[in-house]
Parts: sequence; C-alpha cells; structure tokens
Amino acid sequence: MNAIEIEHLKKYYGEVKAVDDISFTVGRGEFFAFLGVNGAGKSTTISILCGRQPRNGGSVKIEGMELDSHADEVKRRLGVVFQNSVLDAPLSVEDNLRYRAALYGITGGAFQKRLGELTELFELKELLRRPVGKLSGGQRRRVDIARAIVQEPEILILDEPTTGLDPQTRKSVWGIVHRLRAEREMTVFLTTHYMEEASDADRVVILDGGKILANATPLELKNAYTGDYITFYGADEGELRAAGLVAERVGEGLRVEVKDTAEATALVLKYPALFRDYEITKGKMDDVFLNVTGKKIEG
Amino acid sequence: MKLIHLIRRNCKLYFKDKALFFSSLIAPLILFFLFVAFLGDVYRDSLTGILPEGAEVPKRLVEGFAGGWLISSLLAVSAVSIAFTANMVMVQDKVTDRFSDFAVSPVPQSTLALGYYISTALVTAVICLLALAVGLVYLAIVGWYLSFADVLFTILDTLLLVLFGTALSSVVCYFLKSQGGITAVEVIVSAAYGFLCGAYMPISSLAKGIADTLSFLPGTYGTALLHEHLMGGATDEIGTLFSGEFADGIREGFDCKLFFFGNAVPEWTCFLVLVCAIAVLVGAYVLICAAPWKKRKKKPVTVAQPN
Repeated sequence: MNAIEIEHLKKYYGEVKAVDDISFTVGRGEFFAFLGVNGAGKSTTISILCGRQPRNGGSVKIEGMELDSHADEVKRRLGVVFQNSVLDAPLSVEDNLRYRAALYGITGGAFQKRLGELTELFELKELLRRPVGKLSGGQRRRVDIARAIVQEPEILILDEPTTGLDPQTRKSVWGIVHRLRAEREMTVFLTTHYMEEASDADRVVILDGGKILANATPLELKNAYTGDYITFYGADEGELRAAGLVAERVGEGLRVEVKDTAEATALVLKYPALFRDYEITKGKMDDVFLNVTGKKIEG
Repeated sequence: MKLIHLIRRNCKLYFKDKALFFSSLIAPLILFFLFVAFLGDVYRDSLTGILPEGAEVPKRLVEGFAGGWLISSLLAVSAVSIAFTANMVMVQDKVTDRFSDFAVSPVPQSTLALGYYISTALVTAVICLLALAVGLVYLAIVGWYLSFADVLFTILDTLLLVLFGTALSSVVCYFLKSQGGITAVEVIVSAAYGFLCGAYMPISSLAKGIADTLSFLPGTYGTALLHEHLMGGATDEIGTLFSGEFADGIREGFDCKLFFFGNAVPEWTCFLVLVCAIAVLVGAYVLICAAPWKKRKKKPVTVAQPN
C-alpha cells in the first residue's frame, strides 16, 4: 500500500493555478522529495495534504484513508516540520513536547515514556529543562523534529527543514532523519530547493507552475536530463581537441561532457592513451532541474 | 484533557513572557502613580471640601474612602487591560503561524478558541484577585469600612469584569494579524480605557455629552459596581455623621451611583448590563470563531474524473 496517493489535485486562487491537476504516489518507507522554486506549488500541496487548505479538485489518500472523511485519523499519521520553527520560545523543551503530545491524547505515564524515547533518540537530556529561546539553531531543529514525531506518525513531512541552517547543522538534521528512516521505517516527504538533499531521495518530483514536470528516481532523472562528465587529469587540451573532444578547465582537470555512460565507455576504448588519470561522474541535480524547468534554482 | 493542556500552555506562555506580563501592568501602574502623585490628594480634598463648614471627619474615614476609590479604579482598569495583554498569546500564535501548526493536529478549532478564552480569563482573574487581596490589606491598614457582603460583592464584580474584559479582548484580538496591530491595541487600551470606564476620574465630573456617551459602555457599569462596593461602607459612615442626602450626593459625585441620561441606574441593572454585555461578546466570539470554519466546510470539493 502507498503511504500517500494524490490524484488530479487542483488548487486555484482565482486565475492562478497554484496546483494544476497533479497526481503522484509515495510508497511506504520511501524518502520522497518535492523539488521546485518558490511558488511552484510545493507548500500548497503540503497544506492540502495536512488538511489545512481546501482544494478545488482531486483526491488525497493517506495510508489508504480519504482525507475528507478521516481527517483526524490522517492528522495522527502525519508529523510536520515547518520551515519556520513553531516552538514556544519561552517554554522549556520538555514543555514544548508535553503540550504537543497532549493534543494527541498522550499524557501522564504515556508521555513520560515517549519523552524518554525522544530524549534518547535526539540526545535531548541536557536540553530538556532549557527554554527553547536559548537553544542554538541546530538544537532547535532537533526539538522541532522530535515534536513533529511525538505521536509516532507514519509519515514525516519536512517543509524546507534546513533553509537558513549552516552546513554542519544541516548535516546533523539529515543524520537524524536518516536514522528515523532506518530505525522506524518512516516515510519522509521532503520539500526542498537544495539539490544535494533531493539527490539523496528515493524518488524526486519536480514541480513548476503547479504542474509535475518530472517524477523519477535521481538516477533516472540524471540519465534522462543530463549527460555524464569525464574529467581528465594530466592531459592537455591539444590531445583532447585532436580526439574531437571539447573540454573546459575545472580545477586541475579538463572536463568533457558526454551523452551517457555508453559514450564514455566508447571513448575509453577508442582513445586509451588519453585515459591515464580520469574520473567519470553523473550530471548533478542542478543540471537536471535546469534542463527540466529551464530555471536555475537559488540556494 | 487537550483543553486543560492548552490552557496550561497559554497561561505558562503569558507568565514566562516577561515583556507581555509587564506590559499588562502598565495601565494599573499609571493609575497607581497618578494616585500617589496627585489623584489621592485630589479625592481627599474633594471629600473634605464638600463637608459642611467647620465639620471634620476622622482621617481613617478619609483614607478608607480614597483607598476604596483607588482600589476599585485599579481593578476596573486591570480586568480589561490585563485581559487584552493575556489574549496576546492568541494573537502571537496567529502572527507566528502556530495556528497552522495546530491545524495539522487533531484538535478542533472550538477547543483552541475555548482554550484561549479560559486561559485569558484565568490569568486576568488571578492577577486581579491578587491585586484585590493586596488592596483589602491596604484598606485594613488605612481605614476599613467594608462589610463581609461588600467583600463578596467586590469579588463578584471583579470576576464579572474579568469575564467582560476577556470577551471584549477575544473579539478585538481575533482580528489582529500583525505585531504592529498588537502594539497599537496595547497602547490604546493601556492609555484610554481608564478614562473610558471612569477609573481615572469620575464620569460625573465630565461634560454631560461625554458622560452620556460613556454610559453606553458596559465597562462603566462594572466600575460603578466596584466603586459602590469598595466605597459604599465609608460613604454610609459619612452619612451617619451628617445625613443620608449628603451621602447620596457623594455617591453621585464619585460614580458609586451611575446615571443614564439623567436617570439613576439601580445596582441590579448594572449587574444585568454587565452580564448581557458578556453574553453578547461571548456570542460574537463564538460566531466569528465558527464562521471561517463553516465557510471552509461548505466549500464544495469537486473531484475531477480521471481522463
């Protein structure tokens, strides 16, 4: 069974088609990335998915349940981390977790048990009594995620969770998310405009102008929308030109773009003398995005 | 259980947010400093000034009377201004998008709205009753002329005014959507409400047109009730020293007795006005909270057929 099934979803604001007839599924336990520039329709889709906004058409099923007829059950199965932290800064970490858990009926002994699990999972022991306002950005993000999964949801929605965080903190946030996936087999639905984050996903949907332009694994997208790159070290441009290859200098190497891995293999066989020190790499998600949407993503 | 935890969260947020807590004390502090600086002397002089020539009243009676004015005015202002700042927890939740966060949890909007109302009323009631307790101790020191019934009625007046202030602030705060709006309302309420409800100076001392206009505001009836129950004992004592008519004159001059276009308003009517105002405002709050929710449910969801 799929964790999320969306069919022909539509959301219009007057003449503006924020979400324009999109359909996709997210498998259970999958790490799914929703990629798009600001205004592509990512957040609107998430809002509809969480039952925060009505839609103009289409159907949404979460864990096999219709969103409209099972709103409360669906909400119990979703944990959401918003782009901007929604923690209560004057309250302690423990209070933030306690009051969130109470909304799902987790109180008393059940809460204490859950608090123990979350404290261990997110290494919060030293932070429990501290006001959230006094935590660093990374610590706060950890608490945000702990709070989002306090009711043990099946699906974790991360709405641009690392925007504005430094690289070290981003790395630590992803460490936690990957641990959750590995240990709890949680479905993760990510919206992001960071290409390297999307490239780690099991599947990527590229959204632009409310429409889905691509829906595949990162490898399939790279194969379909970008070529491979051969980087030669120790070769000179003349040698490459003689072989009919157009190269650009990248760092200490000379990089040549080829159509696919088969073309790279053919070149290795045809000009073995050129391949003294080299590497063959896939195109990047930035190139995929640029080729799919014609837009360069910032960030 | 969800409601209890929401109330606890809202109350804790209010008391932990020092800026919010102290801003709610601005209006009562203004009144307190005005009283210490000159209003106290003004009321003492007003009372002694209208005594028959050569007549004197004990100092404790003058202090008990002026103290009753201060405490009743303080409570009248606090019940509304503290309710407004306590309700800022709701506005801040809206401004900082915590409403969206609540919307993804299985908590009904009606529970959220009730949570804000009850927590605001609780916070305001606790602070006002504490202020009343301090005020009663002060009166016991400078001049005690209250009966047990006066104390009970004062508690009732305070609680009714708290419910009124909470309902009024809930309706107003519901429409605030920005930090600027929060600040503007806080400033207006802190600065203006004391004048509007007759706490800073008696309505009877204002021009007739203004006094008549202010008599349309339900808060003034609550203030009048507090004046009567905290100053009535001292006023009656003055009446026994001079005459009942003299005491009546004092009651009218110091707003213990309120007039609506020249007609004296009985005490039970003051209670009725206050209760009706609470009922109307709570009804309005329920309506405005329910309206967007209903609208959302009514919106037809057309399911497109797959091609």
